[in-house]
Amino acid sequence: MGSGAGDPWTETILAEDARLRDRSIESLAVGLDREQLLDACNQLDPFWRQTDNLYHRVRAMLMLSAIHRYHLPPLLSQRPGAAIAYQSFEHLLHRRFVEAIDGMLSVQSAHGPSQALSSGLAKAYYQLAMQTLADQVRRSVRSVRGNQWMFRIGHPSDHPLRLDGRLLKTGGESGQFPILIEKTPVRMDFSHSGWSDIFFLGMDYPEGAQVINASIDLGIHPRDDAPRPPVEAYLRVIDRPVLRLVSVDLGAEAEIDQIDELFDFAKDHLGLLKAAVIASGLVPPVMEGCHQPIERLLERVLGRRGLGLELVSSVNDIPKGSRLAVSTNLLGAMIAVLMRATGQTEALEGGLVERDRRQVAARAILGEWLGGSGGGWQDSGGVWPGIKWIRGCLAQAGDPEFGVSRGRLLPQHTVLDSKMVSPEARKRLQESLVLVHGGMAQNVGPILEMVTEKYLLRCSKEWSARQEAIAILQQMVEALQEGDLRRLGTLTTRNFEGPLQQIIPWCTNLFTDTLIAGCRKKYGDQFWGFWMLGGMSGGGMGFLFDPAIKPQAQAWLQREMVEVKRRIEQQLPFAIDPVVYDFAINDRGSWATLAEGHDALLPIGYYALMAPKWIRQEVRGRSEQTQRELQQLGNRMKEGQVSGDWLLERLLPQGNVSYVAPEPLQELLRLHGFDRQQHEQIRTALMAGRIGIAQNRMPQGTPIENVQLPDRRQMPMQRRQEQKALGAEAIRAGKVAVVTLAAGVGSRWTGGAGVVKGLHPFCRIAGRHRTFLEVHLAKSRRTAREFTNPIPHLITTGYLTHQPIAAAMAASGNHGYPGPVLLSPGRAVGLRMVPTQRDLRFYWNELPQQLLDEQKQKVLESARESLCQWARQTGEGSDYTDNLPFQCMHPVGHWYEIPNMLRNGTLAQLLQERPQLTTLLLHNIDTLGASVDPELLGEHLESESCLTFEVIPRRLEDRGGGLARVHGRLRLLEGLAMPDERLEFELSYYNSMTTWIDIDKLLRLFELDRSALGDAVRVDHAVRNTAQRMPTYVTLKDVKRRWGKGQEDIFPVLQFEKLWGDMTMLPDLDCHFMEVDMQRGQQLKDPAQLDGWVRDGSCDYVDSLCDW
Amino acid sequence: MPAIHKALITAAGPRQNTLPLQRLVDRDGVEKSALQMIIEEVLAAGIESVGIVIRPGDEAPYRMAAGAHADRLCFLVQQEPRGYADAILCGRDFAEDQPVLHLVGDHLYLSRTAARCAQQLVEVAVREQCVVSAVQPTRETMLPHFGAVGATRLPQQDHLYEVHRVVEKPTPTLAEQELSVSGLRSGYYLCFFGMHVLHGQVFRLLESAIGHRSGKATLADALDALAGKERYLACDLEGTRFNLGVQYGLLWTQLGLSLAGVDRERVLADLVELMAVQASGRLR
Repeated sequence: MGSGAGDPWTETILAEDARLRDRSIESLAVGLDREQLLDACNQLDPFWRQTDNLYHRVRAMLMLSAIHRYHLPPLLSQRPGAAIAYQSFEHLLHRRFVEAIDGMLSVQSAHGPSQALSSGLAKAYYQLAMQTLADQVRRSVRSVRGNQWMFRIGHPSDHPLRLDGRLLKTGGESGQFPILIEKTPVRMDFSHSGWSDIFFLGMDYPEGAQVINASIDLGIHPRDDAPRPPVEAYLRVIDRPVLRLVSVDLGAEAEIDQIDELFDFAKDHLGLLKAAVIASGLVPPVMEGCHQPIERLLERVLGRRGLGLELVSSVNDIPKGSRLAVSTNLLGAMIAVLMRATGQTEALEGGLVERDRRQVAARAILGEWLGGSGGGWQDSGGVWPGIKWIRGCLAQAGDPEFGVSRGRLLPQHTVLDSKMVSPEARKRLQESLVLVHGGMAQNVGPILEMVTEKYLLRCSKEWSARQEAIAILQQMVEALQEGDLRRLGTLTTRNFEGPLQQIIPWCTNLFTDTLIAGCRKKYGDQFWGFWMLGGMSGGGMGFLFDPAIKPQAQAWLQREMVEVKRRIEQQLPFAIDPVVYDFAINDRGSWATLAEGHDALLPIGYYALMAPKWIRQEVRGRSEQTQRELQQLGNRMKEGQVSGDWLLERLLPQGNVSYVAPEPLQELLRLHGFDRQQHEQIRTALMAGRIGIAQNRMPQGTPIENVQLPDRRQMPMQRRQEQKALGAEAIRAGKVAVVTLAAGVGSRWTGGAGVVKGLHPFCRIAGRHRTFLEVHLAKSRRTAREFTNPIPHLITTGYLTHQPIAAAMAASGNHGYPGPVLLSPGRAVGLRMVPTQRDLRFYWNELPQQLLDEQKQKVLESARESLCQWARQTGEGSDYTDNLPFQCMHPVGHWYEIPNMLRNGTLAQLLQERPQLTTLLLHNIDTLGASVDPELLGEHLESESCLTFEVIPRRLEDRGGGLARVHGRLRLLEGLAMPDERLEFELSYYNSMTTWIDIDKLLRLFELDRSALGDAVRVDHAVRNTAQRMPTYVTLKDVKRRWGKGQEDIFPVLQFEKLWGDMTMLPDLDCHFMEVDMQRGQQLKDPAQLDGWVRDGSCDYVDSLCDW
Repeated sequence: MPAIHKALITAAGPRQNTLPLQRLVDRDGVEKSALQMIIEEVLAAGIESVGIVIRPGDEAPYRMAAGAHADRLCFLVQQEPRGYADAILCGRDFAEDQPVLHLVGDHLYLSRTAARCAQQLVEVAVREQCVVSAVQPTRETMLPHFGAVGATRLPQQDHLYEVHRVVEKPTPTLAEQELSVSGLRSGYYLCFFGMHVLHGQVFRLLESAIGHRSGKATLADALDALAGKERYLACDLEGTRFNLGVQYGLLWTQLGLSLAGVDRERVLADLVELMAVQASGRLR
């Protein structure tokens, strides 16, 4: 057991004294050598296995993760060492983290530590820690008093709830059942003290868990007359024994007649409503799988046969991503209305008492977990009235959390009444704050994990930032009490620009920074401050102005946001056009009314959705209730109370309302070189099963062996100097150009949003946000300066990226790059297809897939079933056209990007201008460490190969192929072509894609020479011939389809690719391979990698290569 | 609290008034009305006079159903169906500010000891000198049928609890928050047994509850108020209650009585035969 005296690691975890307990990981690791760090691991690993204290365990796991991720790798050999066994990887995918760790540790003890093992251990410890925390929150939610019974009632016959009799009394003349209506504001947070509303933080560090938020009504400016509670839930009895769920804002409805259907969350867009029904206790969570009709349950709860319930949700056109916790508050509203109706609250109508609010909040947490989403504990804030100061509480004896965590799951809400925050101060707040939705919709999930990790590790900079954020919150309370809004603005800005960005630099972005700078420039002192809402900026945000200029500022900001968005919408993912809200503080919180008789009406959007369906039914097929409702609707139309235009629009045939008119897509396809004939051939082969994801693979039994490359570091210094001199001479002589591949759509980077990755201002380097392209040009600038010869920089583009990149280069003057910058536009494009079920099932079931946390996995599987149904209904193998044209097209793989340079004349032009040019350095847009390194260039020149590929020692995350000897030939093998995914784990090297190209030898491969580049026919012919020698892969890519108010659906679509690495399989091509350092060869594929990329020094490394 | 000589039985519920008239076979194999059994239960506890709250017009059948005990009955008519609390309040004058044993008319009781359930309760009330409600640990699925108490077990007492909260037909959500009792299995609550010893203060609180509540007040409202004012106990009796008013209530009550009495072997044999015949499909 490693908790002995003198071990500072476990001592830190166990310390009672906060000064010791809060020591940062940096202070513990500083100055330790490799053996000392491994010793620390040997202390911490048995410690977490033995301790029964949750937070001690988790801190130990995260310390181990950080040691393996950040502290140990620089001290390990950069050469490939002991590899991760496939079995450990499989354990990781299946969330068997302990088994994965045990497997990797046993390899480590047998063969010593390695970069690969450390990368695997870092990930396994990290995921185990996060899983342990999530499990604990889940246990705590279940053990909240008032929630426990729902996990014991597994059969409808045991149901202990009864519907309030008032909902069963039909009203006089109208004959309609009453409707219980819950209207709930949303929450706007002033500060969350560095995301302290994350459950894990509040439960471990209740003293630091503090939030101020206000419940607000909203209206879209200038559309709405006045702000109103944006979230509404309606409940009524219906005369059919089903549970009818209707989401007015999402235009979705379903009638549930089996209890099991309710647990199919991703089948339609009604997941949130289903989660509310379950979390409210109407259908308790453990009824999942009881195989009972819902009629039986309804009969017991309603006390009558033949009746059902209808739950309707409505969000008043507030776009997604508002950072106002709209969905959590909608969930809260629905849970509240269902709890009221089943007697689980003090009152059927009016406000909620504190006990009820806490119960609704606890149930909303449960609902979010059931639906596979998650939020913070402040998110149900709209259920409470007014402005609240919410603080974590220490767990006391008798609490379910006592003895498990220091804090309770649910914090304490203190409503700041009019004595604490005067009505004048509230009025001033409304007069000075401009509340907006910037239009960006982003996933906050990774940020919350980063915050948790940094907190538990007490990372020094972040820990002091957290203390500062807590202090700022206290000052905000004072400013509110004083009614000093200018001071409040100063504090919210300080909070955003100070602690929040110190903890998570990614909470801001170019869009936000541009708006803030614009406000400062335009309004100077009268711009009082910026206010980040929720987890990150870019969506919902606040800008405080002097009330004297607020109306002008509001109008200006609305225009400015749209203008900035237009400028950068190809760079950052926007879901909607920016909007400005009107808001008012809601002093009632969630409020219910019972509408009876002729007042028992649902929102008009409900009738717009349901009435056309009813009208199309035979009269005798309609229930009495439906018939009555239609009559009443007709009467209201006749009396002019409602317009009937929408009904006509929905009933009568309309023109072509397809998402995309076909002409633009066809025109775009033609413009970008779409080959219809080839497309049809591919479709035929796909449908016949000749090609497909399974068919990408090489035959089983293909001889594939791992290889070891010579260690460049072991080369005599003199050789290295010679190589460097050779390379330097070539650079000075103008023989080298850089090719940056930027034609791809960066699906993983943006989750299929279709923005240009190369232009994404992904990170603040040297004081401001930089795009990938800017970084690459800055490296070339540095090379140019060093060798006093500006090297040409080519950027390959595609149908999606050409225009934006050309515009961005023109606008920035090539970011001031002194040398020539040429764009090489794409010459080929494909049309995406609806996948076959066979491919979908092979991809999901046969290929290794990351299993998610239990409930998320259920939701994912439900979504997959729906996607299979979508593929079946839409037509397997049919053209994918139900999206924006650019989202229906696809680039045909990076192999084409060099041939495109031959076909579009870019290379010819360059060679004409610079006949001395002999070598190209080709690299991916996301390989930020790739630079014109003279030593590597020297080795390439010395090798006299056509292509020299740079490879890096494989780590866990480097998946997708590698360097192997296949049938005796040394080549790069794509992951898609691996006969068995296990083989990849035996390969020591991963392909960085960075390639040194000998231009003349490459031309010879294409049976061309410099003089032939002017002959378009010959070039086309040469490219086609060579293309035929390259394998074609069928791949699945996620594509986003946006609809409604910022809603997004993601569809997997099929596309075809040829890949550059396959050039190494051509027998008549000389290829050379060089091992380079991880920092040079690693790629940034996912924004979630960014934080680690900065923390492990990679960002500084890239910065050191640049000249800004 | 002085000795208890009076019992008050409520039987005026619109759907309950015929239940005490049902005939069943008691533990001794004698057929009698439910009302007779209830009266025998209270007489065994030393009660001398029984007030029975009925609907208008029910007196004659009740008198007949009471058989030999009819002369001990005092009929108290609830003119309008104004709920349970009002029904009890109809017995206020009958009680004459004396402690009174109260039973609901649709429950029968089966003791596991020599002392009958009512007798056990009266002994506790006299000994403890306070209002006492009989309770029984009841599964949460039955909460929609009963009043329930939140209570703390008295030191050194297995079956006695000091009550701090009373809720009529609570939801399990509220029960978990306010009515949990240490020592009970999870999901079990102390629910009313249908038997209480009340005193004059309870009648005053009932009157106040009826005045303040918008819907129909219940005895639980008054007892909840009482718990905040004075010592009020709950007693987990050595016995079982049978609710005649629920679905199959009569069947279960009869089975409960028979299986605890002289006809146990016969009833068991008949039941086994019934099940065997049914299982082999020979039942016509």
